[in-house]
Amino acid sequence: MSTIITRRQLIASAGAAAAVGWGPSSFAQAGTKLRCFWWGNPDRDKRTRALLDAYAKKTGMSIAAESLGWGDYWTKLGTQVAGGNAPDLIQMDYRYLFEYARRDTLLPLDALLPLPDFSANDRNGGKVDGKLYGVNLGTNSKAMVYDVDMLAKAGAKTPLDMAWTWDDFGRIAGEISKMNPGKYWGASDNSRWEQGFEQWLNQRGKSLYTPDGKAGFTNDDVAGWFALWDKFRKAGAIPPADVGATNNGKIEEYEVTRGLAAMSFVNSNQVVAFQGLNKNKLAIHPFPRDKGGSSGHYIKPSQMMSVSARSKAPEEAAKLVNFMVTDPEGVKFLGIERGVPCSAAARALLAPEVDALGKMQIDYVAALGKIAIALPPPPPKGAGEVENLLKRVADSVAFGKASVKDGAAQFHDEAVSILARA
Amino acid sequence: MATVALQAAAAAAHARGRSAAWRRDLIGYAFLAPWLIGFLCFSLGPVLASLYLSFTRFDLLRPAQWVGADNYVRMFTADPRFWQALKVTFSYMAMEVPLKLAFALAVAVALDKAVRAGALYRALFYVPSLLGGSVAIAVLWRQIFEGNGTINQVLLWLFGYKGPSWISTPDTAIYTLVLLAVWQFGSPMIIFLAGLRQVPQDLYEAASMDGAGAWRQFRKITLPMLAPVIFFNMVLQIIEGFKAFTPAYVISGGTGGPIDSTLFYTLYLYQEAFSYFRMGYASALAWVLLIIIGIFTGISFLTSKYWVYYEDDPR
Repeated sequence: MSTIITRRQLIASAGAAAAVGWGPSSFAQAGTKLRCFWWGNPDRDKRTRALLDAYAKKTGMSIAAESLGWGDYWTKLGTQVAGGNAPDLIQMDYRYLFEYARRDTLLPLDALLPLPDFSANDRNGGKVDGKLYGVNLGTNSKAMVYDVDMLAKAGAKTPLDMAWTWDDFGRIAGEISKMNPGKYWGASDNSRWEQGFEQWLNQRGKSLYTPDGKAGFTNDDVAGWFALWDKFRKAGAIPPADVGATNNGKIEEYEVTRGLAAMSFVNSNQVVAFQGLNKNKLAIHPFPRDKGGSSGHYIKPSQMMSVSARSKAPEEAAKLVNFMVTDPEGVKFLGIERGVPCSAAARALLAPEVDALGKMQIDYVAALGKIAIALPPPPPKGAGEVENLLKRVADSVAFGKASVKDGAAQFHDEAVSILARA
Repeated sequence: MATVALQAAAAAAHARGRSAAWRRDLIGYAFLAPWLIGFLCFSLGPVLASLYLSFTRFDLLRPAQWVGADNYVRMFTADPRFWQALKVTFSYMAMEVPLKLAFALAVAVALDKAVRAGALYRALFYVPSLLGGSVAIAVLWRQIFEGNGTINQVLLWLFGYKGPSWISTPDTAIYTLVLLAVWQFGSPMIIFLAGLRQVPQDLYEAASMDGAGAWRQFRKITLPMLAPVIFFNMVLQIIEGFKAFTPAYVISGGTGGPIDSTLFYTLYLYQEAFSYFRMGYASALAWVLLIIIGIFTGISFLTSKYWVYYEDDPR
């Protein structure tokens, strides 16, 4: 944890406060201490720290900044919130927003942050029971990240067709695997990724969870999903099970990053972080689908910023959130790394100076916006456990320890019992 | 009258003595206080609190709800992952404890005989134990045993054999963790070395005079004389084995995967507590672990009289 304030700033701001006779308003700001906590990657951490640094300098506050990887983040946040020691600014995910908001650990922000140039959709993604608890830091959608040259070498026509099919995917992946047999494959094994399964359900007009928090899928749905990837695995389009079984969702663990495959399934904003670790040129593309079927894509808040209900300086915290999403200066610090900004003014401001990756994302989200389906219901409590369950069962199938049919039954039944218990 | 005065004087003296003793005790307790307060507040208190929590449903954010023995009932009747965690932990220990002790003893015996640079080797062999629990080593282990890791490169170069990713194949992952633990044989080795120094040299001299070879001397003199030290090391290793956490956590990214093949008991406990925020259930798991460790330590002590020989034991 580092406090973003230098001694000189502290003295300067104290001096400034003294000069105006320790006026209550200036004192309130200059003395305010805020803590900001997010999950990140090196690129995001650099951007966020620069923003907090600049804001601290501007206002004379001291802002403590802390970031962790996705998995450790939720552990630490949960413990801090329970210990009455929550950070003032909490980066929030759609997956956890409802849980935290309904336990009164977050502050309703409607009065503090009107966000006039957010679309109703972008605001609604952060609402729970009609109140705004999470401010959208950028939108994204799921995406396939791929190595442009590798696809070209395998004879695939890029850019790929928007409405490409699972058959196209299998064929192209198979061609790529043939180029360097046993060492490089077409795509990662996506069968163990819960969000991939969700999208596949969305393509079929179903959802992973129902609005009342039950499983939205049947045994047959799971079997269909496992069978799809089983087919790719047997055809050699994706690597054998032991290659991907250690992937826990960190960018450095993906086959694309490790130089083992040309395509992986991720979230669109992550292309920035993926490109940061990859020498080859990467691009994003929508998921493959069934012939004539829906893409299943929806636009979602990639990340949100929430304010703790126990923050001692809620107004100052809200101002800082506002600085992140609408202030020209703040918006420039964060860029498009967290997804495409919701504020139209922010997008217009960034448009002339975004790099190729930023433009790729803006175009991607804009293109999907035309075909996107509605945001599905929020995941219920226990969803995190189901996510890990899928990894376990999909691995059993991939390693040949369970048949597609048995694996499907196991996943379905255990998921139902996890949701009932949570 | 005189007797009464005498009695009173005796009583006063007694009281004085008692207060002096009490004052002496008080000074003792005062010196003990920093540790004692720490122990009561930060160890005993939480331990007792966890006993209470083990009978509740508690997710940190809402107050704990009393559920009686539900957590324990669920554990033994409806939780396959609990049994999987036990299975993993026991099979890990069945390999790790004997292998590590044997390895530590072998190296200790060799070092005991070494004359030159003995201290240097002792230090070198101890280094893995210092590094052992660290995240860096667990990461290194991952690199060595993964698909295109060091081991497979050597195998390919020597035998042209293309090995699997040892660390992410469910059937082999646990062995890489056993190896990691055995590699950290430093502390039992040091204890064995100290034990070996205690064995009277005249026993060896007499034995070699009678024509006993090195192996026979080892079996008939070293092992029996070392039995108490072996026993001590074993109990320590069993307790440590049950508590093993970091390597599995780092190597599997906290999941215990692939397919729960490295789901150590402590890792499962951690997941229940800090990934799924079931503090009540995790507390119950912790108490069951405490009882299991207690049983194993008890068995070790009870059986020790049949195989541990104490030199000063008049038997």
